[in-house]
Amino acid sequence: MSGLKRVGLTIDGLKVQAAEGTSILKAAEQAGVVIPHFCYHPALEIEGNCRMCVVEIEGLPKLEPSCSALVREGLVVRTSTERVREARKDVLAFLLAEHPLDCPICDKAGECRLQDYYDRHGLTASRMVEPRERREKKLAIGRGLILDRERCVLCTRCVRFLRQMPGTGELGVFERGLRSEVGIFEDAPVDNGYSGNLVDICPVGAITAEDFRFKTRAWFLARKPSVCPHCGRGCAVTVESVSGYPLAKGERRVYRITARENPAVNGFWICDLGRDGRRDIDEGRHARLMKAGVPVAGLSWQTALADVAAAIRTVPGPERSAGIAVVLNGRLTCEELALAKRLFVAGLGLSKVYFADRKPGSADGLLLTAERLPNGRGVLEAGFAPRLPALDEIAAADVLLVFGPYLSEHLAEEALAKAWAGIPSKFLFSAHEGPLDRLADIVFPVAVPAEKSGTYINVDGTRQTFAQAVKPAAGVAAESAILAGLANLLALDAGGGDAR
Amino acid sequence: MSENGVRLLPLDDDSWRLEAYLRRGGYEAARKALTSMAPKDVVAEVCQAVIRGRGGAGFPAGMKWSFVPQGGAGPRYLCVNADEGEPGTFKDRLVLRRAPHALLEGMVITAFAVGIRTAFIYVRGEYALVSGRLEEAVAEARSAGYLGPRVLGTDFGLDVIVHHGAGAYICGEETALLESLEGRRGQPRVKPPFPASVGLFRSPTVINNVETLAAIPQILAHGAGWFLGRGVAKDGGTRLFGVSGAVRRPGIYELAVGTPLRQVIEVHAGGPPEGRSIKAVVPGGLSAPVLKADEIDVPMDFDSLARSGSMLGSAGIIVIPDGTPMLDVLHVTARFYAHESCGKCTPCRIGTSWILKAVRRLRRSGGSPADLDLILRLAEGIRGRTLCPFGDGAAMPIRAIVTKFRDELERAVAR
Repeated sequence: MSGLKRVGLTIDGLKVQAAEGTSILKAAEQAGVVIPHFCYHPALEIEGNCRMCVVEIEGLPKLEPSCSALVREGLVVRTSTERVREARKDVLAFLLAEHPLDCPICDKAGECRLQDYYDRHGLTASRMVEPRERREKKLAIGRGLILDRERCVLCTRCVRFLRQMPGTGELGVFERGLRSEVGIFEDAPVDNGYSGNLVDICPVGAITAEDFRFKTRAWFLARKPSVCPHCGRGCAVTVESVSGYPLAKGERRVYRITARENPAVNGFWICDLGRDGRRDIDEGRHARLMKAGVPVAGLSWQTALADVAAAIRTVPGPERSAGIAVVLNGRLTCEELALAKRLFVAGLGLSKVYFADRKPGSADGLLLTAERLPNGRGVLEAGFAPRLPALDEIAAADVLLVFGPYLSEHLAEEALAKAWAGIPSKFLFSAHEGPLDRLADIVFPVAVPAEKSGTYINVDGTRQTFAQAVKPAAGVAAESAILAGLANLLALDAGGGDAR
Repeated sequence: MSENGVRLLPLDDDSWRLEAYLRRGGYEAARKALTSMAPKDVVAEVCQAVIRGRGGAGFPAGMKWSFVPQGGAGPRYLCVNADEGEPGTFKDRLVLRRAPHALLEGMVITAFAVGIRTAFIYVRGEYALVSGRLEEAVAEARSAGYLGPRVLGTDFGLDVIVHHGAGAYICGEETALLESLEGRRGQPRVKPPFPASVGLFRSPTVINNVETLAAIPQILAHGAGWFLGRGVAKDGGTRLFGVSGAVRRPGIYELAVGTPLRQVIEVHAGGPPEGRSIKAVVPGGLSAPVLKADEIDVPMDFDSLARSGSMLGSAGIIVIPDGTPMLDVLHVTARFYAHESCGKCTPCRIGTSWILKAVRRLRRSGGSPADLDLILRLAEGIRGRTLCPFGDGAAMPIRAIVTKFRDELERAVAR
């Protein structure tokens, strides 16, 4: 910023300073003056087609689009004069003249710019007598995305996003004039790892996701910030869920995960893997404690934890180092890793502390990293040297504590079963069901990252603290609570207050 | 007309051949510029001549050239706008057919003045015959050393590439033309930046109309003063006035800028046929607001027509005779703009179609005089609210027809 000259201008009577080269729209936004717009998106090339963001600039005969007009020293800008309001009304009247007005069945209702702006800037009666153009209303354009051409306002955000961000450019505008329509090229549907962002950036309900369509209404959603745990990038996400009404009492569902702006990490986007993380929160979860492979009703994790403490106590002090093995993972938060370090290494003096995580995938050169765990850097910073255990290292233990289901991704199930069979006490702490479940004496259901608060350090060393985005089901505990509880039972100091 | 015989459009049959062009003193102006003038002096001469853009906007060509940044390492381009699409306009076609070398010579001079080594001619897709001749002329000029790596034996080189459009009116808008030339969808770009600084392939670009460039050699050959003297104070030279519609001799007339419109129609084009009279005149291509019969005593130059509430535009004059229902004129006009709107800007995309729908309703006699107000209101919603001049070009003629012929339209609707 230091290299850019700053200029002073007046927007709606406010004295505003902005860097040279800033658009009036952005400068106004920085000053708290919101200018309505459809086609403008801060991360995309300026297109200037919707004409919604026009403003009056003193000395210029025409209204200027504030998305493309740049700040200049001494400029006097007015964003809500009679002329500007007329122009906005006209744009809304034009758009609505060709809009299906199917808000009652539109998934965008409640978070739609057209709907919001009509409420704020329009409120005109219809003068359109002729029937609207009929267009394709549910065109599958790939990756579970559905295009409704009647709702489309042709802002081309989607077209520009695909050309600019993943660079795949599957969408284009076809035909001309009123017949213009967004579409895919023949036999080449949208197919890239960032397709879900199209739904986020569509200002109306033209692009919707099959995964979300007709499932709920936007106004039921509780939107909470979190950090994506599916690779080493740690993208900012919003977890959007419903708890209770209109679901059954006590029921909770995460309907979608959307991108949250974070210029330092992910800009405005997330990948489809992270977006699909909705399933990681809601699907394949352990709902209750399991003993010997069978779910047990009415047994709390606090009570069952006494069995873990008892098993640990059976191993005499000097033998613990070799007799107790622990497998941790890189989905644990920095706080949990610190607890684990104090409890297992400093407190119990264990030497067999291993790590098992999701296998790496391939990086896509954009956001997705090869590493598929969120806190690899956190593991190193906590002072661990992460290493996958060999089968015989596990088999030799008297007590085995495994956090996460990932061991089975690395070791053959049969060999694992054989090795585990000889271990007198083995406990699994896992959020998701998996092949290890039937091997453990007790399976503790634990929280997924969205249900926790804590800190992750991403591949670039950026430290991100996040709060709980959704509440876990009753009986599901965060690993931090389990580690602190265990320390309590063993009368070890695991760090006091922050353990809760 | 043409005192001392200097004409942009020669009358001889083989005028489009290099040989014939050379007989008329062709390429001498380019030789003069390339061998005896500095580029900046060429720009200054053309500025002094006040040759205003013949494509319709009327922007002084010399000034346009002077906006191209000096220095810089990257390439610069010249684009010739031969995408003549304005209804009522057919002058560039004739230049390309009869005097393609005048265009090429004008391009050589322009390229030399601005420091350009590659030029494109963007030819309207429908101009098949014309562009064949043009390509032949380019080949002729290249083999005779008037184009190519060493123009007229100097160090200056110029490559000319002929490119065909695909029939979209909007590609006559300069930035849409650039998009199309780059292989993309022909739609206008956001301005600024203007093409002079960021144009074709993101490089500084000069875009001029065919007729404008073809007139440049005259300026160099006879001097800026001579050229300016042929027109009016702020609008030099002659123009190719295209006259179509209800006249006895429709065609292209090369006349001094500032010739009265009535004179062009009645003296040169022979006036309306026996027994007919003039009802209205579109003076400068369809986008120019219509003039009523009693408004045509106006000099045909940019400023005079602007003062009369219309525009000189492309100087394509459409004469509408008595007996032509203005509702039909309104319909044809509305249909054209609805058909040709590129669809980029909301007001133009939907507004032009909405207007057409309303006009159709009027014609089906399902409408009422209130619909005329709706049409005016919609036109106001488009005017001044779009990226490119198309919006104004659509809104202004429609507004003019409705306001100037309101009584007739109301009678027609009531019937």
